[in-house]
Amino acid sequence: MQSNTLRIIILIIVGAIVGFYLPWYAMGIQAGVLAYLLKFPVKSSFTVGFISGILLWGGSAWWLNYSNPSALPVRMATLLPLQGSVPLLYLVTGLIGGIFLGFWTWAGARLR
Amino acid sequence: MKFIKSIIPLVLAILVTIGWDNSWGTIPPFGKLLSPYHGFWINAEMAGSEEMSEEELNIPGLLKPVKVVYDEMAIPHIFAENDHDLFLAQGYITAKDRLWQMEFQTHFAGGRISEIVGEKGLASDQFQRRMGSVYGAEQSFEGMKQDPQAKVALEAYSDGINAYIASLSERELPLEYKLLNYKPEPWTPIKSALFLKNMSFVLASGTDDLKMTNILRQYGREVAEDLFPNYPFEESPIIPTGSPIDFKPVPIPAAPKDFIGLGSAMQTPEKDPNIGSNNWAVSGNKTVSGMPILANDPHLTLSLPSIWYQVQLVAPGVNVYGSTMPGTPNVIAGFNKNIAWGVTNVGSDVLDWYQVKFKDASKLEYWHDGQWKKTKLRIETFKIKGKKDFVDTVFFTHHGPVVYLSHEKTFKPNIPVGHALRWIAHEKSQELTTFYRLNRAKNYTDYTEALRYFSAPAQNFVFASNEGDIALWVNGKFPLKSRLQGKYLMDGTDPAADWKGFIPQSHNPHVKNPARQFVSSANQFSTDPSYPYYLGWQYAPSERGRRINERLTAMQKVTIDSLRGLQNDNFNIRARKLLPLLMRSVKSNHQALGVLKGWNLQNSPESVGATIFETWVLNLQSALWDDEFAADEKVPMNRPAIDRTIHLIEYEANARWWDNVKTKGKNETMEQIISSSFQATVDTLVKHHGALGPEWAWYKHKQTGVRHLIPGMDALSRLKIPIGGGGSIVNAATTKTGPSWRFIVELSKTGNPKAYGIYPGGQSGNPGSVHYDDLIDTWAKGELRPLLFLENPNQSSSRIRKTITLSK
Repeated sequence: MQSNTLRIIILIIVGAIVGFYLPWYAMGIQAGVLAYLLKFPVKSSFTVGFISGILLWGGSAWWLNYSNPSALPVRMATLLPLQGSVPLLYLVTGLIGGIFLGFWTWAGARLR
Repeated sequence: MKFIKSIIPLVLAILVTIGWDNSWGTIPPFGKLLSPYHGFWINAEMAGSEEMSEEELNIPGLLKPVKVVYDEMAIPHIFAENDHDLFLAQGYITAKDRLWQMEFQTHFAGGRISEIVGEKGLASDQFQRRMGSVYGAEQSFEGMKQDPQAKVALEAYSDGINAYIASLSERELPLEYKLLNYKPEPWTPIKSALFLKNMSFVLASGTDDLKMTNILRQYGREVAEDLFPNYPFEESPIIPTGSPIDFKPVPIPAAPKDFIGLGSAMQTPEKDPNIGSNNWAVSGNKTVSGMPILANDPHLTLSLPSIWYQVQLVAPGVNVYGSTMPGTPNVIAGFNKNIAWGVTNVGSDVLDWYQVKFKDASKLEYWHDGQWKKTKLRIETFKIKGKKDFVDTVFFTHHGPVVYLSHEKTFKPNIPVGHALRWIAHEKSQELTTFYRLNRAKNYTDYTEALRYFSAPAQNFVFASNEGDIALWVNGKFPLKSRLQGKYLMDGTDPAADWKGFIPQSHNPHVKNPARQFVSSANQFSTDPSYPYYLGWQYAPSERGRRINERLTAMQKVTIDSLRGLQNDNFNIRARKLLPLLMRSVKSNHQALGVLKGWNLQNSPESVGATIFETWVLNLQSALWDDEFAADEKVPMNRPAIDRTIHLIEYEANARWWDNVKTKGKNETMEQIISSSFQATVDTLVKHHGALGPEWAWYKHKQTGVRHLIPGMDALSRLKIPIGGGGSIVNAATTKTGPSWRFIVELSKTGNPKAYGIYPGGQSGNPGSVHYDDLIDTWAKGELRPLLFLENPNQSSSRIRKTITLSK
């Protein structure tokens, strides 16, 4: 019996592996494929994908900057423009990842 | 129905994916850009640790292994066993730090920006190509290939860049590719030629001929020649007055008939008067060490990534250190064991316009020398991102391209319509050979031999050797002209107006070991009027040159540090002359006048006096001349130079120019114009900075910035840098331009030159690297860094941080 927590963990782990080796959009498609194959319930599918995306993208971004600090996130947060706030940049990165994975997870679950 | 419902989310997911995979106008591809596994996040480079690291890379095409040693400023010292490998490694290593810049600058030079940014780049692209940038690069590429050594250099350098491009996966692309959403294309050797041509665009494309003709048409020749004299009232020419001439001049061609022409009614910005440079060399007779010391600081637009990239190149027959220009092999300005050399720009007139008389609307024939001659057509195709290709036909007369036809709108206001362009940058040339030979030169003879190959943009090549020689050649290919030929637009039907060959290279102005024990240049007049040939009527204002010569004459016991002081000299020599003249006439009781009275004439960063004076000069020039010379924006004209203005204030208090012709029935006096321009100055400064106080500090007002090459990218730029100076100051830091590479070298008999240098940027082009802008603060403070000059790759030094071995 899958719980949503388990689904989220699966999406994050597979998403990270796919991210390392394949183009960026594959990270969304994998969520759709998994949702389809593992029969994610349609109702919670968007939320599951959304939370996975936020954690995967926002968390990875945070980890990258934590383990390899540089001036780049501040510069990008100024450029985008987020007033140079790196926390906001984590949030925006997470939201993009969340919406992206959310739609694909919903799409995969709905197709079945 | 059920099916449609079930695929709606899929359609949405695909739309979101496509939307974030592409850029939309200036909006970047958010998905790709922000993905922590593909986007900008992985461009971050951690600050290098103090520990030494080693790495091995495989580079196809190398003949033997190459060792690259990086110092603490991330400057590579490249050790190869032959020329081919040296240049291949130079291409590879430079691309590793600066790939995006190299490609972007050559795309710009080749008129291909619209391939990246779409239709908004088209006008600039068309201008570049109509001016003949690609045509000129093709010409000079032909010339370069004729020298087998230059050919090897170009091709190996190109192979090195391509080896780097091939090694990159999409996620490893430099940040700017991700922001603008495109990929690098393979490099080709002609791109190096394009880059060098672009230096002619930057340094030798200034043209006032149209504006001068507009003045001629409005005010007549007498006024034009009076207000725009052909030699300044105050000057200290590069070749000292009285220097002997060691050649027999060739005959000067007869002058063409006077020609007024149609002028033109279009708009414009002109060349940046602040792009100039300083260089000098001091003989051992004046130095503490007894050895010559050479100093150079080319002033260019300050940018990130920097136009310069430092490197040491070592192979059998060469061990040279200096600054290179990413995109071209060799060192451009630097030193080796025996010599040092540097460059400043020569502002001679090497660009002229000829009014074209076409036979009919087909433009296939034009009138010249009493007959109809055929035009040549060149087809230029522009690829535009997101649009269909644009095909453009350029008409060439024997002079060169007709840049704009009579009915066309110009990209810049100083470009006349209906005129053909004759420009030195279209000549076949061999600049690379000059740098190849200078890199290996051992003495004065080698240096003069190297200079023979250089065409454009003409440079003042300063030189010093450990044999004790100092020298300076004003060097390039100069058209052999009659006096003042090309000051105004010329008649394209008159064969007497054509260029008649070139001044023999050995007759170029030069000086070796002069009695004054130093040589120097700062873009001022090359020679005094006794030089037998005509080079141009207008050069950069003489202030920097006069100040440098005044200081070098006075200085004794010269050291590297005292010359560093001179590079950072903030003394305002213009104010020394002009300010007392203004004070004599100004009527005001504002306290700003008191500040000016107490000002020490230094344009130091915190100076308030400098801000008031510099703003006043601008307002005065405008109040005095704009009513006559900027009255109609469709008829662009030059404004008389500051040198002429000072003469007017000193000797011509009753000249007609003082009256503001726009105020009917009033006759303004010199005192009124000077006083009202002072009041305008105070009003402007109060408006921008509030009441008189520390906010009026010169650096806050001037706002020197080092800006990213993409316009408007403030987040990747460094702005409001606390530095003094100014355009007419030796420390020539202005809002957007300044000393782009300062270096000083003291030569040594034993081949151990002592060298110091700095440029406002950093070695890495990656905004995610500490080396992106790590040299700027040192530069702003006026300090230099010691340059590491290694003998061999295994030499130990506490400054070495990383070693890379490149092998096949």
